[in-house]
Amino acid sequence: MPQNAISQEIFDAVVVGSGAGGGTAVHVLTAKGLKVALLEAGPMLDVGTEFKEHKVPTDYDHRGAEEGGKSYFGKGKPFGFFSTTSGGWELEGEPYTVGEGSQFQWFRSRILGGRTNHYGRMSFRFAEYDFKPYDKDGLGFNWPISYQDISPYYDKAEEFIGVAGTIENVPSCPDGKFHAAPPPKVHEMLVKKACDKLGVICIANRRAVITKNLNGRAACHYCGQCGRGCQSASAYSSAQVQVFPAMKTGRLKVFDLAMVREVLTDENGKATGVLYVDKKTRTEKIIKAKVVILAASACESTRILLNSKSKEFPNGLANGSGMLGRYLMDTVGFGLSGTVPALEGMPHYNTDGYGGAHLFMPWWLWDKHNKLDFPRGYHIEIGGGYSMPGVGSYHGAARRYGYGANMKSKIREGYGNTIGFAGRGEMIPNIHSYCELDPNVVDRWGIPVLKFHFKWTDYEWKQARHMEKTFAEIITAMGGKVAGLSASQRESQGISIPGTIIHEVGGARMGKSAKDSVLNGYCQTHEMKNLFVMDGASFASNPDKNPTLTINALAWRACDYLAEEMKKGNV
Amino acid sequence: MSNFVPLETIDRRALIRSLALGLTAMGAMDMEAAQHVHVETGAEKAKSGTYKVKTFTPGEYKTIQQLAVLIVPADTVSGSALDAGAPEFIDTLASQNVQIADIFHGGLAWLDAEMRKRYQATFVAAKPEQQTQMLDALVEAGRELAERQSEELVYQKSPIYKDFTGYTVRRANELGAGVAFFDWVRKMTVDAFYTSPIGFKDLNYIGNQALAKYVVPKEAMEYALKRSPFA
Repeated sequence: MPQNAISQEIFDAVVVGSGAGGGTAVHVLTAKGLKVALLEAGPMLDVGTEFKEHKVPTDYDHRGAEEGGKSYFGKGKPFGFFSTTSGGWELEGEPYTVGEGSQFQWFRSRILGGRTNHYGRMSFRFAEYDFKPYDKDGLGFNWPISYQDISPYYDKAEEFIGVAGTIENVPSCPDGKFHAAPPPKVHEMLVKKACDKLGVICIANRRAVITKNLNGRAACHYCGQCGRGCQSASAYSSAQVQVFPAMKTGRLKVFDLAMVREVLTDENGKATGVLYVDKKTRTEKIIKAKVVILAASACESTRILLNSKSKEFPNGLANGSGMLGRYLMDTVGFGLSGTVPALEGMPHYNTDGYGGAHLFMPWWLWDKHNKLDFPRGYHIEIGGGYSMPGVGSYHGAARRYGYGANMKSKIREGYGNTIGFAGRGEMIPNIHSYCELDPNVVDRWGIPVLKFHFKWTDYEWKQARHMEKTFAEIITAMGGKVAGLSASQRESQGISIPGTIIHEVGGARMGKSAKDSVLNGYCQTHEMKNLFVMDGASFASNPDKNPTLTINALAWRACDYLAEEMKKGNV
Repeated sequence: MSNFVPLETIDRRALIRSLALGLTAMGAMDMEAAQHVHVETGAEKAKSGTYKVKTFTPGEYKTIQQLAVLIVPADTVSGSALDAGAPEFIDTLASQNVQIADIFHGGLAWLDAEMRKRYQATFVAAKPEQQTQMLDALVEAGRELAERQSEELVYQKSPIYKDFTGYTVRRANELGAGVAFFDWVRKMTVDAFYTSPIGFKDLNYIGNQALAKYVVPKEAMEYALKRSPFA
């Protein structure tokens, strides 16, 4: 393609995507002295304008309903106006399609830092057994690595990004290098007491928030608004914690609004760089590098590889196994809430804390699977407290109570008395859940789009019913009243819509053999030594632990390996 | 709270700048700076001058104002939705979105027409008890409609064909259009009220502060535990 503008520079590595994987890669590689190019499909992050931390609704004349009241028509930002989400399940001009009979929603962030700007920051290590799930129950696939391989990198990742938690010795959720965790709130203490009674383990949450100063980042100031972005970077985001510091080394060059179309290769079977569409000028450009690292998100990286077709690679790059796009997974989600009379009339206090719950319940039945009708497990997240009132907070209550003085006092009395539980569980990878290129559709950049196919199986449905039963038991044990589901609600809300938990992983899974996997244990493609995938695409299974921390650790480990291999001249 | 230390004297712009730079400045953010911004952003918006109506006629606006007082009235704890700026909020969004403007133009016209039919007076001109009678009727009709959603088809005698009994769709409520409008004016009024400083105070919301340390007050913990099954 001689008409394309080719950068003069040849970088040591080009990294595609600036989220948890890409952020870790540019941090580790620039620290090792490598010259790195980072491509982000969205704009640069301006913390001052993008983060609405500390704001209140009356700072805006729309109060958070967004310009023209968009949120009233379901067209507002997916997590509300104040969230720092720059993206969503639908992006203008960048569609995807879904196969008949399937449901899947694909969340994409388009901004420096990606989804780490708004994510929940739950940071749980995978357990030892999580790396060998097939050995445990004969389902799914083992990882080519073990807990011992990744454990030192969990240490590094936790120590660098900062995770608050407590040492608990729970086998399903190994301990890490923790900052001090904040104390439990009142409603959480009631949950803990209920859990103690029911034999459910309930311990301090583990979130990527620092509670003492770290590398120039200030300790958390407990405004509880991590989802709006954290101006003091007390909550981890790859943009603030990894990319900005890497830029200061002078060895990182960031290309924003750069939408990668494909990986370029030469006749020696090596990757030579990437071809991208510069969104600012709508022109194709090329960046040359000795190593190509995809970290564009599980499905976006898969899409780039599928689109990297050539005579030598008619089915896309690194796809000799035909496994590219296969065994896509999301997390099983289910939620239930209730009201707790013990909280009625309690003297109010500030329940913001370090954002999110201060306690959680790791999977507690890891050795009792013979008594369950589903494999694998889930953890439980807790919601409750006196949160900031917002647009939409009281629509339901208003409908229930009509209007006037009665409605007003009922809303006042009910404020903060609600408790909510969200289950986050492991799905078994299945052959019905995958993505491929849609042969008939391209996005506004001319790049062929993904078509998704997805199915929950009985394993996931039964797990969700176990969640429902457990949550109801906890609420009841607290003396609370369950806001139960009707049969028709269960039909539609009994399990999360695939993709909506935003833990989609797999698609370029790692494995021992090039015959049935895309990557080796170092996130390196079996077929091309200088091509790596350092995001959730590499996951061979999707344990109930939120994926980000493991993406950080795997990327760090892969970069250490890559740098060694480069030194040895193997890459 | 004892660990809440408001600061009033520092130059706000400089502080926001230092906050915004965050990590790029490679300096630990000052606790004082964080606290100051939290306090400032809350206080600054409390001021409100005379509002110039952008979308509605004086008659329409008066009706929206009266609805605001009725939907969230003042009581011993806090002021009304009118005090909290609900009419301004609705007018502002209507000025930005013709869809909202039309919902209110049409809904307000429907309301006055219905009031004239019932009481020979517009909503604003009607007696207070007539106004609440109308709203009560809308709430009642709204509940009925909600219940019906899941049982659209009922086995009943046809109101039209005398000899026919079978599954028919129940007759729509005559107040249907009014119910839809009332839902809009109510949800926007409630939103405006609870997102305002008055609404924050009504609920006794005390978050969004910068704290040096997070503490759960003992009296709250004891209060709930005493009333729980774990007492």
